[in-house]
Amino acid sequence: MTGGLQRVASTAVLVVFSLLLTVLILWVSGYRVGDVFSGIIQGAVTATGASTSTIRWAIPLLLIGLGVVIGFRAGFFNIGGQGQFYMGACCALAVSLGWREGPAPLVILCGTLAAIGAGTAWSLLPGYLRVRFGTDEVLTTLMMSFIGALVLQYLTAGPMRNPSGTGQTAASERIPDSFRITDGSGVSTTVLLLVGGVAVLVWLLLERTRFGLAMTLVGRNPTMARWQGINAGRVGLATFALSGALAGLAGAVELYGPGARLVTGFSPEVGFTAVVVALVGLLTVGGTVVAAVLFGGLQSAILFLPIVTDLPPPALVLLHGMVAFLVTIKFQAVWRRTGPGAKAMAS
Amino acid sequence: MTAPSESASAATPAVRCRSLGVSFGAVQALRDVSLDLSPGRIHALVGQNGAGKTTLAKVLGGLQAPQTGEVRIAGRKIPLGDVRAAQTAGLAMVHQHFSLPPSFTVAEALELTAARKGGRSLYRRSELHQRWQDDVAEMGGPTVLATRIRDLPVETRQSLEIVRALAGDARILLLDEPTALLTPAAIDQLFERLMSLRDDGVTILIVLHKLREVAAVAESVSVLRDGELVLGPSEMSEVSEAQLSDAIVGPASSADRAIGKGPSAEAAQDTLLELVGVSCRESAFELGLNEINLRVESREIVGIAGVEGNGQRSLVSAIAGLAPIADGSMRLGGVDATRAGPARRRLRGLRLVPFDRNSEGISRSAPLWLNQSALRLIGRHRRRFPLISLRQYKRQAAEAMDLWRVRYDAVGQPAESLSGGNVQRLILSRELAPGLEVLVAAQPTRGLDFSATNFVRRSLRELRDGGAGVLLVSSDLDELFELSDRLLVMYGGRIVARFQAPYDRQAVGDAMTGALR
Repeated sequence: MTGGLQRVASTAVLVVFSLLLTVLILWVSGYRVGDVFSGIIQGAVTATGASTSTIRWAIPLLLIGLGVVIGFRAGFFNIGGQGQFYMGACCALAVSLGWREGPAPLVILCGTLAAIGAGTAWSLLPGYLRVRFGTDEVLTTLMMSFIGALVLQYLTAGPMRNPSGTGQTAASERIPDSFRITDGSGVSTTVLLLVGGVAVLVWLLLERTRFGLAMTLVGRNPTMARWQGINAGRVGLATFALSGALAGLAGAVELYGPGARLVTGFSPEVGFTAVVVALVGLLTVGGTVVAAVLFGGLQSAILFLPIVTDLPPPALVLLHGMVAFLVTIKFQAVWRRTGPGAKAMAS
Repeated sequence: MTAPSESASAATPAVRCRSLGVSFGAVQALRDVSLDLSPGRIHALVGQNGAGKTTLAKVLGGLQAPQTGEVRIAGRKIPLGDVRAAQTAGLAMVHQHFSLPPSFTVAEALELTAARKGGRSLYRRSELHQRWQDDVAEMGGPTVLATRIRDLPVETRQSLEIVRALAGDARILLLDEPTALLTPAAIDQLFERLMSLRDDGVTILIVLHKLREVAAVAESVSVLRDGELVLGPSEMSEVSEAQLSDAIVGPASSADRAIGKGPSAEAAQDTLLELVGVSCRESAFELGLNEINLRVESREIVGIAGVEGNGQRSLVSAIAGLAPIADGSMRLGGVDATRAGPARRRLRGLRLVPFDRNSEGISRSAPLWLNQSALRLIGRHRRRFPLISLRQYKRQAAEAMDLWRVRYDAVGQPAESLSGGNVQRLILSRELAPGLEVLVAAQPTRGLDFSATNFVRRSLRELRDGGAGVLLVSSDLDELFELSDRLLVMYGGRIVARFQAPYDRQAVGDAMTGALR
C-alpha cells in the first residue's frame, strides 16, 4: 500500500515539477508568471464555462487513455489512439450523413458501433502484425495514426467536404441537430453516464475478471502465460481490439457531442496526450480518470490563455511535452528495475 | 628450485581469511568466517542455497567488500572489495554464469575480458590468434579461436572461462558452481583439468552442490550453513558423507515432511500419456523430434535421460502443446490430443514443471497469488457471473502455498522475491494440486539445494504412489536412477534405448553419448 502511495506521490511531484519548469521557461521568455498561473486557473476552473470545458476535453483523453491502459496491462504500447479516434469519427460521420432521415437513436447507435468497429480495425492490424510476426507495435500504431490523419484530410477535403463551406480549413457538413447528444459545450448527462459507465466496465474487466488476470500474466511474462495454457496471442489481439474500440468510441462521442462535423486535423494531439494521461495515471483506471481531468483542464487553459495574456497556445503545449518527457523517463527507470530484463541488468 | 617444505606451506596458506562478516540489510550472509586454504590443493566449499557460498567467493574475488575481517593471499594482506587488487595478488574467479560476450569470437572475447597485459588497442585478427593460441590449445579439443562464443557447446564455454581466469597468471582459482550447466561427461573433463592445474601448483576453491562431485574432485572440504563455517576445512578422507550432509542441512528439520497428495485414482493401470511416432521440427534452439514412442501409465515415473540438447526441450514443448506435432499422434487420458492447444491439454489434467522455472514457470514481477492461481484462468468459468472475488483467489493461493510450505511474507509480494527452492515449491503447489492426471517434470531439482531437492523428489514419489503418472526429464543420472520405474534415453531427437531398473550406469551412459544405437 505504501508502495502505491509512493508512486502516486512521485508522479504528482513530477507533474508539479514539469509545471514549474514550463513556467520557468515562460518567465525567461519574458512572460509574467503570475498572469500565466492565474490564466491557467481561470481557463481550467474559474472562468465562465471553464470547468465544463475541462470535462469536455477530459472525455476523449479518458476514453483513449483507458485504451492505452488496457494495452499496457497485456504488455502492448498502443500509441496510435489518434488514428483510431479519427477513423471512428469518420465512420460515425459517414453513417450519420448517409442516413440523415433515420430515427436519431438508431442512427446514433449505428454510428457509434461503426466508430467502435473502425477504431478496432485500425488497431487490430498492427495488433495482428505484433502477435503474429512480432512487429514493433509502437512503430506500426504510430504509422497507422498518420494514415488515419491523412484519411480524415482526404474525406473532409474530398468526398465529405461541405461544398458551401467558407472556412479556411476543409470541413464536412454538419450532422442534423437531432443526432447531437450534447450542446456545443460537449458535456451532457448522457455523455457523462456513458463515459463513467465505460470507466467502471474497464475497471471491472481489468481488476475483477479472469480475462483481466490473464492479461496481466501475458503482460508480465508471455512465456509463462503460454506454459500455463493461456493463449497469449488471442489475449494480445483482444487487448488491441478493446483499446482501438475505446479510441473509436471517443471519435463518435466527439462527433455526436461538441463536434457535429469533422474539420481537417481536429484535436490533433488528443491521441498522444492520452498516452501521457495513462502514464501519469500510473496505468490504472482511477489514476487515468484523475489525469484525464488534469490534462483536460490544461487543454481548456491552453485555449483560454491567449485571451487573458498574449501567450500563444503552443507555449502551454510545451507543458505537455515536459510532462511526457519526465514521465517517460521515470517509467523507463521503473520498467528497467522491474521489467523482464531487470535481473540481467542488475547483475 | 626446491619444493617448499611441509612446514613452510602450512605456515603460509594460499588464502587466509579472518572473521569475515557480510550483511545485506537484516540478512547476515556471512558471519565470522575464518578459513585457511593450503596451497596447491583442491578445496571444495559446499552448503545449501543461501548459505553464503557465493558471497564468500565474491569477497575473495574482490567483488564484495565485507563489513568485518581481512583476507591475506600468500601471507600478504589485500585491500578488500577491490577486483584489481585480488587479480594482482594472483586470484581469479570463474563465475556461476558465463561471462564471455556471446557475439564475440573466442580470441576477441579473451582479449577483451582477460586480465593479461601486453595487448594493443589496435590489432589484427592473426595477432590475436597468436596471442591466445597456446592458452586455448592447453584446454584440449579442437581449435576454436575464430568461433563465436554463442556457437560453442556449454562445456567448451566453461573451459574458456577457466582459460580467461588463468590468463593473468593466476595462482588461485575460484569456481562458483561450475558444474551446474554441465553434463556428466563434461563434469569429468572439468575435474581432470582442475586436477592437472592443481598438479601445476594452482590452488583451487570450488563451490559445489553435489556430494558425489565433492568426493570426485576435492581433497579438502568446508561447509557453510546460514553464513557460518560449520565444518572444515577438513581432509576429505577424514569426513564421511553422512557427516557432511548433516553439517550442510543442520539439526534435523521436520519442516520438510510429507505433504501433497496425488489424485486418489483407482489402482488400475491406465495409460495417461501416449506418444505414437511423434515428430516435430527443430526450433532455433533445439533439435526436433524423430518418431518418438512413449507411454506413461498411472503409478509410474518414466525417466528421460540424455545429454542436454538432444531434443528434451522439444519433447516437453510438444507434450505441452507449445510446439506443433508434425507427424504422429498424442493421447492424453486415452483421448486424442494431437491437435489440442495448451489450454485443452491442461484442462485434461496435464501438469508441467518447465525447464526454466524463472522464465517459464513463474512470472517474476507478478504477485505470488497470481502466479499460484494461473491455472484457474483457463477453461470455462464455473459460474455464469463473469466477475471473480480476488479475496477468494488470494485466500486459496495462500492455503495452497502454506500446504507446500512456500516461505513468503505476503501473497501480494512479487514472485522474484522468493529463493530458488521456494519458487519451485510455488510451482509445485500450482501444478500438483488436485486435477492432475499426468505430470511432466523437466529438471525439477536443477540448482536446488539438498533439502529442496529431497523435497521435490519425495513429492514426485508420493504423486506416483497416489496414482498419477510422471514423466521425469533430467540430466542428473543419480536422480533418474533413484526415481524412475523405467528409463528412456534420448539422443539426437530420438529415443535410442529403454532400460528397466536396476540400471547399468555404463550402458545408460553409452546410450546417452550415442555409442549405442
